[in-house]
Amino acid sequence: MNDIFSAQRFWWLMRKVMVERTSQILGSMVLCLVVTFIVYALTQLLQGVEVGQNAGFEVGLVLGGPLVASIVFGYFNTSASGASFLMLPASAFEKWLSGILIVGVLYFGIFLAFFRLIDMAFVANYYRGFDKALPHVKERMEAVRELAYNGVVGRGTFLMYFNFTGMLMLGALYFNKAAFVKTALIICSLIVCSFVLNYVVVSALIKDTQVAFPFNIVWVWVGNQRAPVVLPENISEKITFIFRYVLPVMLWSLTLLRLKEKEF
Amino acid sequence: MIRVEKFTFGYKKGKPLYRELDFTLGSGKIYGLLGKNGAGKSTLLKNLIGLLYPTSGSITVNGFRPRDRKPSFLRTVYFIPEEVYVPSLTIEGYVRLFAPFYPSFNREMLNSYLHKLDVQTEEKLTKLSFGQQKKFIIAFALACNTGVLIMDEPTNGLDIPSKKKFRKLIASIMNDSRTILISTHQTRDLENLIDQVIIVDDGELLVNTPVGAIGEKLSLQLVETDEPELAVLYEEEAVRGRLVMVKNENGKEGKISLEQLFNATVENPSALKSIFAN
Repeated sequence: MNDIFSAQRFWWLMRKVMVERTSQILGSMVLCLVVTFIVYALTQLLQGVEVGQNAGFEVGLVLGGPLVASIVFGYFNTSASGASFLMLPASAFEKWLSGILIVGVLYFGIFLAFFRLIDMAFVANYYRGFDKALPHVKERMEAVRELAYNGVVGRGTFLMYFNFTGMLMLGALYFNKAAFVKTALIICSLIVCSFVLNYVVVSALIKDTQVAFPFNIVWVWVGNQRAPVVLPENISEKITFIFRYVLPVMLWSLTLLRLKEKEF
Repeated sequence: MIRVEKFTFGYKKGKPLYRELDFTLGSGKIYGLLGKNGAGKSTLLKNLIGLLYPTSGSITVNGFRPRDRKPSFLRTVYFIPEEVYVPSLTIEGYVRLFAPFYPSFNREMLNSYLHKLDVQTEEKLTKLSFGQQKKFIIAFALACNTGVLIMDEPTNGLDIPSKKKFRKLIASIMNDSRTILISTHQTRDLENLIDQVIIVDDGELLVNTPVGAIGEKLSLQLVETDEPELAVLYEEEAVRGRLVMVKNENGKEGKISLEQLFNATVENPSALKSIFAN
């Protein structure tokens, strides 16, 4: 008997997870999609389609993804459901993979398809009401396009999505109760600490620092003007690589290790 | 077979709850694990099934190391925790989703056990009372036909008729290939059911003996006045005096209830440990 992966056993597990936790998993997904739609709709009304699509995309992935991620391993709120999950005759790898598929494939795929649809609708709506008599028609028309998933916003959001979902899945396995809140607090604390520490260190090194973004850019005052101090390109690329690939892989792999070693 | 060797466990470093425990539980027997509240019964059970890991020492269950939680191990054990979990599914739905994981699951047996325990419903399991939910899980666990069945306080939440049905059912499904371990602090629930009694207290295994051997080692005597020459292990008020428990040295087999044994062990742990160690 294969104790690591069996296709049949994995099918039983996926079926069980999806049927048993339909309301939690699908409910949280639907909630995230609805919130995305509302944020996009309201923001584009107030600040235009471009701002709206960025806000909707970021909210749906960066906030929605972690919410779904904390739910897929949210068995440990009660001792009974936690024991039932760990004692189910499926391997730790299969249990982990079921969560990964829901967060990394199912929600991710559904969200991208849903976002593309609403994005197309809002952009089409923008063009329908477009006044061609206004000046700079060409520039204004070109300014509004469907969000490119491989653009700056798309790539930045994917980076945050895979890192934050990894952290939330890990948090759901570390904290038995209120895992989402506890992990979110830890993430916020880490971000604040890294900003403060970075600012303190940079201020000690560079006079007249205005603001310092960790691993990214430092703005300094030169007379009345602000000037950026950026990382050398090769270091910047390495840091981006770490945040884009190394850290998510580490976090998602740690989730498997934690699940395997989970005591309850 | 469950083999525990030099088992040490503690939730905090330097504060072991169990120290170097050694015991073996064979097949074909029903074991009763007794202990006070907080004695660590659930902790011991969780170590046996791999929900907790020993700090040192080893545990093997039918040749498997529980902490690995391999599917080939998990399909041969069933653990019923004190608080049971049921999803928002009907009995049919539950069986469809959970039963495939247990190759020896038998649907007809489940129907029979449910009937015996008076659990007949088309409603979702979450709508049932706690006692009904627990009886459903007990019936399902028995129908899975796993070699090892471990139950943590299974009678908690059951009404008096259900406790009786539970005892009858457990006795009826026992066979030579099964090991059943039941933990409880309600000793009367296990009376006339278990083959062997295990008593733990303060991190020690004080008693691990067949129920039939209790009367060989201990006896109860009715005394009316204080008898200083008697080494009393435990005493309780009786109608015409006091019942005192002493070491059985006259060879006559006495009748001692599990509750009396348990009380004596808790009051005189070292004496009882040495009596049952020999």
